[in-house]
Amino acid sequence: MSDFIKHPVVSLPDRAPEPVFSKEELVFTEAEKEQIEAFRAQYPTPESAVMKTFWLAQEKFGFLPPEVIRLAADTLGIPFSLAYGVATFYTQYYKAQKGKYVLDVCTCFSCQLCGGYDMLRYLEEKLDIREGETTEDGLFTIQGAECLGACGTAPMLQVTNGPYVHNLSREKLDALIDALKAGKKPPFVSVTLPQDEDDLGGNRRSDAEATEVGQTPPAAETFE
Amino acid sequence: MEMALFGNNESGKTDAWRSYERALLPPVRDLHRFDTYVGHGGYEALRAVLTREEWAPGKVIEAAKASGLRGRGGAGFPTGLKWSFMPPVEPGKPRYIACNGDESEPGTFKDRQLMEYNPHLVFEGILIAAWAMQIDATYLYVRGEYADWIRHMERELATLYDKGYAGKRILGTDFSSDIVIHKGAGAYICGEETSLLESVEGKRAYPRIKPPFPAQKGLWGCPTTVNNVETLACAPLIINRGAEWFAGVGAEKHPGPVLYGISGHVERPGVYEYPTGMLITDLIDKVAGGVRGGKKLKAIVPGGASVPVLRADMIEGVTMDAESLRKAGSMMGTAGMLAMDEDTDMVKFLRRVTRFYHHESCGQCTPCREGTGWIENLVTRIDEGQGTLRDLDILLELCDQMEGRTVCALADAAAWPVRNTIQRFREEFEAKCRQSIYAVA
Ligand SMILES: Cc1cc2nc3c(=O)[nH]c(=O)nc-3n(C[C@H](O)[C@H](O)[C@H](O)COP(=O)(O)O)c2cc1C
Ligand code: SF4
Ligand code: FES
Repeated sequence: MSDFIKHPVVSLPDRAPEPVFSKEELVFTEAEKEQIEAFRAQYPTPESAVMKTFWLAQEKFGFLPPEVIRLAADTLGIPFSLAYGVATFYTQYYKAQKGKYVLDVCTCFSCQLCGGYDMLRYLEEKLDIREGETTEDGLFTIQGAECLGACGTAPMLQVTNGPYVHNLSREKLDALIDALKAGKKPPFVSVTLPQDEDDLGGNRRSDAEATEVGQTPPAAETFE
Repeated sequence: MEMALFGNNESGKTDAWRSYERALLPPVRDLHRFDTYVGHGGYEALRAVLTREEWAPGKVIEAAKASGLRGRGGAGFPTGLKWSFMPPVEPGKPRYIACNGDESEPGTFKDRQLMEYNPHLVFEGILIAAWAMQIDATYLYVRGEYADWIRHMERELATLYDKGYAGKRILGTDFSSDIVIHKGAGAYICGEETSLLESVEGKRAYPRIKPPFPAQKGLWGCPTTVNNVETLACAPLIINRGAEWFAGVGAEKHPGPVLYGISGHVERPGVYEYPTGMLITDLIDKVAGGVRGGKKLKAIVPGGASVPVLRADMIEGVTMDAESLRKAGSMMGTAGMLAMDEDTDMVKFLRRVTRFYHHESCGQCTPCREGTGWIENLVTRIDEGQGTLRDLDILLELCDQMEGRTVCALADAAAWPVRNTIQRFREEFEAKCRQSIYAVA
């Protein structure tokens, strides 16, 4: 035996990880298959539809364990290894199960200056978990996020790759957690432009349920 | 009227901006709906280019050149020139636009407002550019976090197809061009143009070595032009009002309306539309209501985390355009401006910026993958009081080793803030360092 084999640089698992989903669960419905077919038709190659297919799969299964990645790959007729590489490149594809509500608290740049870390630490204390962890009841995961493109309403967070919650304060976080515990997701909030406040009385969209405008940010207490 | 008001380079230095009439986001209720947009003259520019002799594709590119429009995605490259790089049409070889709505540069949040409030201006701009370069399909790349806005745009895009304004035989002409929205999934690097192409192709988004440039080999090896969302939204304005009008708005060498995203320690943060070439001091003091709570300004970052920070004493008379900012020692970037008040700890600020780049490096190039980590560690060490004066010089040396030595500009974007923040706030860094036994360079 060569030295290399006696001292392997990586330790290989002796068997594949136990799948989370059973064979019966691992299917796309006819409607979903049709949707995936429609994604394929938008691109010249089937590989290109993999990102949209992952989004659909994550909606359905909640996260992307290897067997779901394989299902997506097989449905598109592309190699599993290729699909796996894509899934692991992007942070919004969850490779492991997370809480029902993932709270991505922005602590980047503008949010850092405007109390993003205050909000993150407050949530950690309130839910008794650290950044990156999930509560025991499986309801909440807290994550620190990079700039989410809503710096004018800093500090802010995003709930499970979905709605943004702007102009955060401790009171707003309390209300958010209560609402989420009651199964109520925050609505879409249209962030109005300061110039619209002057010219249009604020909201320019008659179909927006809720609006907010950037507020004078608080002074950050914890600045990390 | 605007022409007279903004027809010279000094425009930003007077109060003329106060009477500026918004063009990218005009104050029209429900402008995001197809009917309202059309009711306000929307898609007339598209109709004009598709049906009028004088708007042959080459003429549209000429108009883009004459307008002086420069990219709003960060690099400020002249748009008309970029369009002219597309090779001649070859039968059987598709041509693409990749429209960049990744908007992940920290401090940047203007494309989102445009996509929400005036999506049809973006679509119309895409289609005009598609005509100019004879494009088969446009992939509009939007960051995955903008899920709500993607849904919103999908709905408007479906209407556009229903009405025959996109897809096959647009407006009954012989011209066909598709628009597909591509949803990202959380990776800053996808904003880099060649990384974006890889992502649309459904791959790990590693930036490509240039050349070949996207115009030669872009999506699936075919000619492709990458433009920012706001850049393309300017196209209908240029057709409707004329290249001369556009060239007369704001700064002479960097003209046009622009969306300034102002955030940080100001009274009234948000996205504002004004001409380029505004005085930075006007934007902070008059537009955004001044520094929060009457505090003094310490520093600003004029255009997203990648551009050099300016000390408050460096911004007197500086305007928001490439020329003036270069002289001042910074860049226009995305015009996402961050203001910091006198209480801001610049070491902690830089520490967070370095963490961002370390997190977002794709890892392809050693100087970037390793360098961003080293930088974060060194700045963290200094911030925690464990650094030495020599660390500051190591940091600057690291920047030398990263700049211009990698596949894409992320490494440069990571190095610039380090170099400039240390140079411009050296006392703060030194104050946190332990006195070193090494000589100070
Ligand atoms: C690391 C990195 C990230 C970038 N992110 C973005 C982005 O999020 N949005 C964008 O429009 N351009 C971004 N750019 C710039 C693009 O590479 C490209 O220059 C731009 O989209 C071209 O469009 P324009 O000429 O219309 O500005 C980024 C560049 C780099 C190096
Ligand atoms: S410079 Fe950094 S982000 Fe860009 S390709 Fe190299 S490793 Fe990736
Ligand atoms: S810095 Fe938090 S949203 Fe941009």
